[in-house]
Amino acid sequence: MLTRIAIHAVAIAAMLCAAPSGAFAFDPATYPNLKGQWIGVRGTAGGGQPSFDPVKRWGTTQDAPLTPEYEAMFKANLEDQRAGGQGTNATSTCLAPGMPMVMNAHSPMEIIVLPETTYIRVDHIRDTRRRIYTDGRDWPSEIEPTFDGYSIGKWIDTDGDGRYDLLEVETRAFKGPRSYDASGLPLHRDNKSVFKERIYLDKANPNLLHDDITVIDNGLTRPWTVMKTYRRNANPRPIWVEYICAEGQQLVRIGNENYMLSGDGLLMPTRKGQTPPDLRYFSRK
Amino acid sequence: MRKRNALAAMALVAMVGMPFGNAGAFDESKYPNWKGQWMRADTGTPRYDPTKPSGRGQQAPLKPEFQAFLEASLAEQRTGGQGGDPTYTCLSPGMPRIMNNYEGAEFVITPDTTHILMEHIHDSRRIYTDGRPWPAFIEPTFAGYSLGTWIDEGGTGRYNVLEIESRGFKGPRSYDNTGLPLHPDNQSVFKERIYQDKADPNILVVEITTIDNALTRPWTATKKYRRVQNPRPVWRESVCAENNAHVEIGGQGYMLSADGVLMPAKKDQAPPNLRYFTPAQN
Repeated sequence: MLTRIAIHAVAIAAMLCAAPSGAFAFDPATYPNLKGQWIGVRGTAGGGQPSFDPVKRWGTTQDAPLTPEYEAMFKANLEDQRAGGQGTNATSTCLAPGMPMVMNAHSPMEIIVLPETTYIRVDHIRDTRRRIYTDGRDWPSEIEPTFDGYSIGKWIDTDGDGRYDLLEVETRAFKGPRSYDASGLPLHRDNKSVFKERIYLDKANPNLLHDDITVIDNGLTRPWTVMKTYRRNANPRPIWVEYICAEGQQLVRIGNENYMLSGDGLLMPTRKGQTPPDLRYFSRK
Repeated sequence: MRKRNALAAMALVAMVGMPFGNAGAFDESKYPNWKGQWMRADTGTPRYDPTKPSGRGQQAPLKPEFQAFLEASLAEQRTGGQGGDPTYTCLSPGMPRIMNNYEGAEFVITPDTTHILMEHIHDSRRIYTDGRPWPAFIEPTFAGYSLGTWIDEGGTGRYNVLEIESRGFKGPRSYDNTGLPLHPDNQSVFKERIYQDKADPNILVVEITTIDNALTRPWTATKKYRRVQNPRPVWRESVCAENNAHVEIGGQGYMLSADGVLMPAKKDQAPPNLRYFTPAQN
């Protein structure tokens, strides 16, 4: 697929034969002020880790409209987690959370608005940098699947005051496995999810940001919409914590099994009665 | 340490108490056009000084103690180990290895911050250009804390050089995958000058000077990045943990076979101690 993309890239380059342009005045006053550090707001019913629907607790109380097959997969995952496993939570081994989990904002989020692209940086597990293209491009004929997906956005001036106040985003072309949150709530393994987002400042409080996310996924019986809210840190020079998943990582995945590392670095079972890893390739025992 | 950070943040808010300004045009024509995707112009193994071979060939001005560390790292790597390369378990390469530019860089310039977005293990940087002083306390990171100044060299009315100083590190870090080491005291300071080649605006020059206690003197290298001639480049997603065949157990590096079975990384390597399994297997 990479070769095909390379051919594609060469073709585009030959077709456009244009260097990236750089000179024009960008008037930030035309765009909403999204500067600063945004911290995810969890509902009062929260608890545990950040969940996809932030007003509900993570796990079964999310009331996700899962198909029976995915409901069964989710329940089996919870059983595995109760037994000490990680179930379908793929991020336990530092895999990228991808969409939509990245928007749970486990770590603070920064949004950088430029005319051609809006960037969303979230430093959790991976230093995620969603690129939302707002340069009017169409969907490419072929997209290399990624955990974050390929996002095309459109700025809208909903009240005609001459200033954009809404960013509509559509995101496609995923790889997996991905889950909505660390409870393992799964997205369909076909990775054909589509996300539609509406990102806007709260009308009454410009230090609150909303992201209405609608998920269209074959693991669901119908589109599922939630509203996420983020609060702007009042510090204009906030501290950005670096999150390196591999640093101090206690989980080790060998084959299809997860193990733990003890304080002294030795391999331990994560579940009662778990078999140790197969050592057939070692000549020294 | 986190608590100290929180206190520092609260103090800063109380002291500064400034809102988030959004007014005023950001005149992009005052800044250089660094848009697009930049790939390293050199070939071979990504390394600190791209004009010299990697490893010993870099001729790094290491103190004897750290030259010995490099030799031991190279010897260990010859037997199948990872030596002093800390990134094989997906630890961030940190500075200055980030700037080896493994898989493409993007420079996102705003008046307050220049973001260097790097597609590799965990490599993106923020360069603050808002005139702030060094904070009283910096939470150490692999990427460090970077202050930058835009310079208009030649008085052209347009900035053409970004000067950066970076401090506040954690480790372990190496210059490249040979394990060429930085000092574990993590007191490194990096000074960079980034500018476009005067003859070819599609070449970006990155001059890095490393000041580190493992060195006998400051060490300067000049890197070059070439702009991809596609205004809508493909950005690959590099997720280190995906298909990473390296596993570290008890300080020892092992490999995973294609079928997911643990394997030795070195000849006659002992298997991991399994004393916590019942019945004991080892």
